[in-house]
Amino acid sequence: MERRQRRAAWALTLPAVVLMGVILLLPVTVAAVLSFTDFSLGNDSFNWVGFKNYDRLFTRSTYAKMFVATFTYVVTVVPISVGLGLGAALLIQSLGRFRELYKTIYFLPVMATLLAMSIAWEFMLHPSIGMINRTLELGCGTVLEQVWPFMANGCAKTFPVWLGDKRYAIWVICFIGIWQGFGFNMVLYLAGLTGVHRELYHAAEMDGAKSGWERFRLVTWPALGPTTVFVVTISCIRAFQVFDTVEAFWPQGGGPNKSTYVMMFAIFEKGVQQNLIGAGASITVMFLVFVMILTLIQRWLVERKVHYG
Amino acid sequence: MAELAIENVTKRFGETEVLKGVSLTIADGEFVSLVGPSGCGKSTLLRLIAGLETQTSGTIRLAGQDVAGLRAADRDLSMVFQSYALYPHLSVRDNVAVPLRMRRLNGRQRLPMVGGLLPGARSAEQQLMADVEHAAKTLEIDHLLDRKPGQLSGGQRQRVALARALVRDPAAFLLDEPLSNLDAKLRVQTRVEIAELHRRLGATFVYVTHDQVEAMTMSSRIAVMMGGKILQCAPPDEVYENPADIQVAEFIGAPKINILPVDVNTDGHVTLLGQKLPLQLAQPETGVRIGFRPQALRLSGADARLTGVVAHTENLGAEVFAQIAVPGLENRIVMRAEPGQRAALHLGATVGVDFDCTAALLFDQNGQRIRTVRQAVAPELTGAL
Repeated sequence: MERRQRRAAWALTLPAVVLMGVILLLPVTVAAVLSFTDFSLGNDSFNWVGFKNYDRLFTRSTYAKMFVATFTYVVTVVPISVGLGLGAALLIQSLGRFRELYKTIYFLPVMATLLAMSIAWEFMLHPSIGMINRTLELGCGTVLEQVWPFMANGCAKTFPVWLGDKRYAIWVICFIGIWQGFGFNMVLYLAGLTGVHRELYHAAEMDGAKSGWERFRLVTWPALGPTTVFVVTISCIRAFQVFDTVEAFWPQGGGPNKSTYVMMFAIFEKGVQQNLIGAGASITVMFLVFVMILTLIQRWLVERKVHYG
Repeated sequence: MAELAIENVTKRFGETEVLKGVSLTIADGEFVSLVGPSGCGKSTLLRLIAGLETQTSGTIRLAGQDVAGLRAADRDLSMVFQSYALYPHLSVRDNVAVPLRMRRLNGRQRLPMVGGLLPGARSAEQQLMADVEHAAKTLEIDHLLDRKPGQLSGGQRQRVALARALVRDPAAFLLDEPLSNLDAKLRVQTRVEIAELHRRLGATFVYVTHDQVEAMTMSSRIAVMMGGKILQCAPPDEVYENPADIQVAEFIGAPKINILPVDVNTDGHVTLLGQKLPLQLAQPETGVRIGFRPQALRLSGADARLTGVVAHTENLGAEVFAQIAVPGLENRIVMRAEPGQRAALHLGATVGVDFDCTAALLFDQNGQRIRTVRQAVAPELTGAL
């Protein structure tokens, strides 16, 4: 009886186990194995190269630029898009009317394809005919020129070549990333806010929390703890995955002086464009390690800190 | 400690008028229950007093001062919520300390980490913790101070909510159905504790409940609310024995009062199912109803005023309640009987029920109590004399 039950249990879990193995574990294992080789697609055989691919990752200046670009992007985009998402959610929550309208507006960039949006941004950022520099030119001759050195400089010489200048390129990518991503965080926070017990706000008021800030600190922020952990994790993973904009703006090479050479683009360039599967696989493994660390931190936080059970 | 005066308060939510002109004065140190079925406006009234809602018209005075425009945080009132509304991320100690921190420390002293280093913060914090310990001892939760609300039972959370309310010694306590989330046994126990707490503190308590037993057992006065109005506000025994309105009579008392339709003939005599009762009204009226509490009815012989069939009995041990179907009456009547009479009250038995007319309550067609009732001498007794 017990043996039959055990066999039935295995039979029932088998499809899920097989799918997980084939779709998730096998590719990861293959990538991990390939990262120790010099395999190229089309070759019949490959050589084991040991840790050579990884060695290059930490010694070559291209990869140093890759890590700088990736972490700059993550460290900039995650806090700002989380903060803006929370701010927008709180503002929308406090609205009486037009809630749905604002939700839709802020969510539009999330739904739009980033690749298509990148083309629109490329036009807007064009150094001479782009909307952004045209708008900035309107400020020439006004008081702005006196108080803002950037403006004075732009009017005297030229305004930035946004996508061609290594000082600006990564920040443009960050800006578009935030613009595109914070609507998603906003929706998650709006969902989190519906779970905050209304009576807690009344209790806070009775207890003497007069300002909105006090009530936020006493009730809203702690109640949003689980949401925040989730939002930050998701934002981090999405930030590590940034690719579309870089590929759309600079299909060859990852930006001026490789200043926007982010990890995903590096995987694409090595693994697909240059057919260096081994090198691509090693970056992939690095990427998986980062994501794994983030997920573990999230699990730890969720279990320890933010559920008050 | 303060007197609370509510004058002609109304409250509308859009089209619906929830409170239709409520007036109530609560003396310093009084325990007043607002009791009524759900939707009668009792919670709204409490929230108006608290300042969590604003009245449409009328005034609320606290210690003689009109509190209109004074926000909840400035009214010096404490509230215990039905859900307890404890901050889930704070320990019991910090939960109880919140109202003190909000009032005694300034904005900068409340900042996390650095706040404690500012001048005056440490001594204020020490004093505050002493007050928290004191409140916790009063409610016997001092052993729970380091736990989070999620680790407490319902009864313990309720005590924490009470401790948070009393820690800063407010002008009055507002309690919004604080016992409704507890199980029956704990409710009885906590009822006693809250009543004792009130006696010990001598503070003003306003207590909202839908449970008439809670109102009866704890209050100095009960305000019975229905449909946005206070129908009667009086001490519990007065509300029970001398209800001003048929709805009050029906709401207070368990099992419910028996309400029977009666006729009043031209000279004011009251007849029930064709039998003349020794009761006389000042003038003839239609739609008059008579009310008897179950204990005003008694088991009687064949010559009883009412005869019916036992349809159901409830044995509570110390007493028995029998539901008796009387031909000609729409509803069954409920009679209280002694346990010794159980044998006579088996299902299907035909029994006679008699009553004491001095305990009868009469109501006119609008449900108002008729107080001008003369105890007329019954005709059969006149014959005997």
